[in-house]
Amino acid sequence: MSEMEGQAPVIQRENTKLAMWVFLGGEVVFFVSLILLIIFTRLTNSGYEEQFRSHLSIPIIALNTFILVTSSYFVVRALEAISFKGDRKALRNNLIMVIVLGLLFLGGQAFEWTSLFGEGVNLSSTYGSPFFTVTGIHGTHVFVGILWAVYLLVGHRRKPFTQDNHLGIENFGLYWHFVDIVWIVLFTVIYLI
Amino acid sequence: METTKRPNYLFVFIALLVFTLVETLVSYVQQAAIKFPTLVVLSIVKVLLVLLYFMHLKFDSKVFTYLFVGGCVLSIPLILVLTVVMPLIQQ
Repeated sequence: MSEMEGQAPVIQRENTKLAMWVFLGGEVVFFVSLILLIIFTRLTNSGYEEQFRSHLSIPIIALNTFILVTSSYFVVRALEAISFKGDRKALRNNLIMVIVLGLLFLGGQAFEWTSLFGEGVNLSSTYGSPFFTVTGIHGTHVFVGILWAVYLLVGHRRKPFTQDNHLGIENFGLYWHFVDIVWIVLFTVIYLI
Repeated sequence: METTKRPNYLFVFIALLVFTLVETLVSYVQQAAIKFPTLVVLSIVKVLLVLLYFMHLKFDSKVFTYLFVGGCVLSIPLILVLTVVMPLIQQ
């Protein structure tokens, strides 16, 4: 099939990419159910503002959101570097930035959790239970993404990605951006509204 | 095949940062009539920006869009069931 004008840098309808989208479709259902858990907990209980939201630090989490969004941009830069320019060094540097930013995000989350535990918000509290469950599962996804990025970096050293062979980076990018999307929604549902 | 037309990723990135900043500021607004719709709309716009440009759905095969939207559609029964069940549990 011929490629149409205006398509994305990498249009390789490989099976792995299709599989990644199938996986992400399943992840949508999974995370929607988790987000509903938070929404329904809020709708069926009172005192969200006083019991829980007052303990959250919006500026710190906004900073964490900036960090995750920035990491997504570096993933795009990594894909651009290898798919358009075949620049292996830029790919490596951008992946390292993704790992660093991912770790910073997790550090911010660890700081938040520690603060909340210190203030008495824990897994047994009404709002703490869904909060720690959902953000914990999201954080686990970020951690898996970091491990994946490290794996790609190591693999890139052994057998470098090329302009024609970079589907591994694209699939990783899809996963990482999805994790970013989930956080965009969680940021609004948990912290802002 | 490589094409010359590419999304302006930097522009998308800056838009995401600006929207995040606006969202954060709006969260301090007390009027729910302004706050709630603004935050929901901004959140949806941000999600769409990432999906369409960073994840290339705007340019890629429609099959991928259908798979993602399929996940969203499959979530609707979940939402409906919970909407019906939760009030019953409360009674």
